[in-house]
Amino acid sequence: MKKSLKRLAIDTATKYIYLALLIDDKEVASIYQVGDNDHSVTILPLLEKLLDDAKITLKDIDEIIIGIGPGSYTGVRIGVTVGKMIGYLNNISVFQVSSLALIASSSKKNKILSLIDARRNNAFMAYFNQQKNTLEYIKNDTLENIESFQQNINEKYEIVEYGKPNIKKIIKSNLLVKVEDIHKLTPNYLRITEAERNLEK
Amino acid sequence: MNVLGVETSCDETSVSVVRDGNVVLANEVLSQIDIHKAYGGVVPEIASREHIKGITYVFDQAIKNANLNYEDIDLIAVTKGPGLIGSLLIGINAAKVISLNYNIPIIGVHHISGHIYANYIEQGMEFPLLALVVSGGHTELILMKEHFSFIKLGETQDDAVGEAYDKIARVLGLGYPGGPVVDRLAGSGVDNLNFPRPMIQSGDFNFSFSGLKSHVINTHHNMKQRNIAINIDDFCASFQEAVTDVLVEKTIQAKNKFKVKQVIVAGGVAANSGLRKKMKEKITDIPVFFPKMKFCTDNAAMIGAAGYFQYKKYGKADDLYINGYSRLDLE
Ligand SMILES: Nc1ncnc2c1ncn2[C@@H]1O[C@H](COP(=O)(O)OP(=O)(O)O)[C@@H](O)[C@H]1O
Ligand SMILES: [Mg+2]
Repeated sequence: MKKSLKRLAIDTATKYIYLALLIDDKEVASIYQVGDNDHSVTILPLLEKLLDDAKITLKDIDEIIIGIGPGSYTGVRIGVTVGKMIGYLNNISVFQVSSLALIASSSKKNKILSLIDARRNNAFMAYFNQQKNTLEYIKNDTLENIESFQQNINEKYEIVEYGKPNIKKIIKSNLLVKVEDIHKLTPNYLRITEAERNLEK
Repeated sequence: MNVLGVETSCDETSVSVVRDGNVVLANEVLSQIDIHKAYGGVVPEIASREHIKGITYVFDQAIKNANLNYEDIDLIAVTKGPGLIGSLLIGINAAKVISLNYNIPIIGVHHISGHIYANYIEQGMEFPLLALVVSGGHTELILMKEHFSFIKLGETQDDAVGEAYDKIARVLGLGYPGGPVVDRLAGSGVDNLNFPRPMIQSGDFNFSFSGLKSHVINTHHNMKQRNIAINIDDFCASFQEAVTDVLVEKTIQAKNKFKVKQVIVAGGVAANSGLRKKMKEKITDIPVFFPKMKFCTDNAAMIGAAGYFQYKKYGKADDLYINGYSRLDLE
């Protein structure tokens, strides 16, 4: 009998915590729940429950998919830390994916503007095209003024800020990027820190 | 018992393996000090970014250097506070993953109990003992009647000693962190500026350093305004003498009152050469211990040592709900 492929997906870049377990391309369990700035407290207990319910352990996982932001929200680091450690400890394949792509995957529309708020009229944004359930980038992840980003799009589209990722769509897409060296994995911040900006001035 | 220690409360990413509270099999420290120097202090967001960058690498180095596998670990001890919250959470979540992955019990440890237990690694402990905790965020006198029992006798009412060192160093243009530089320059200066010894006879075990700090800064300012030549070495020496006079005097008062068997000094300022010298000169009836330099500043070996005794005392672990705390009481 061929051994089944078990995949775990993790994303904490928004106020939602997302965990999913896939066995041979089928989503067998998932959690998508809003947190109260407490991803760091809840993620491991939730992960434990997800695995327990499926009667497997972390050591059974063959592959991990990690949402790496963009995001300024502290939460993004929680998921990346957890995913990075799981990948390292078990020496398994690791794939990173934009959290904006995960958000976009929840939509069924053709044109999708995926958005994570960054305050002061700015947001982390990306623009996607979707044909026959296949998701692809039109505009890459960026951090900019919401209005000016929108002004450059002259067609009808849907804005999506939240939504449970459609992980099957993601694994069929070209949006996953293989992480070659687990030790080098970091969130995608898209901007240097304020302290670094001030130092450059 | 093999304890995996994890410390990420400030700007050091550190992982250790410590057997039975004192055999240090590995103690890896990835310091960010050179990165934060450019900013004159630790920048929390940069600290968090550096922790997540280095976290798996530091774990890997520690377990390899200890010549063990994760399966050989019996307990995970991770700093849960006090410290920078974004930094703490990276170490805590990484530690929780190991706990879940290998089904190893985990406990959250107070950072200061770690600094105190840095002394156990080399000297062991005899009770009752008195601990003087002096660091960037703490100045406390603590009485221990047995393992992992902490009675706070007194603490600073304002600035911590290390903080005062760092602020004065900034005014004198000596860079960050200030403690080590002020300490070094004090060695070639003279205590000739008559700085006050705050609260030295207050009758309790509390401290105050912000008045002294302001006095030093004002003196510097006034001398500059009046074009009086300033000898930086003398400034450092005068400040260091004032600070260490107070620390040593209060320690002696507490030592006599509680008839302790030993005095231990803990925290980053325990590296101070003036404090080391004065303590040893003034306290001769019982032993005074300082941790080795590498165990004075933040490190995970001390967390592994403290975690071992915390677990022995309470006999139970925490669960996967451990949280981080920017402020946290020791008692
Ligand atoms: N030789 C020294 N003399 C005085 N202060 C020192 C010396 N070495 C380090 N320090 C001070 O120790 C502090 C750092 O210690 P640490 O235990 O890391 O503090 P915390 O964990 O509370 O931030 C800094 O304030 C630093 O200036
Ligand atoms: Mg410290």
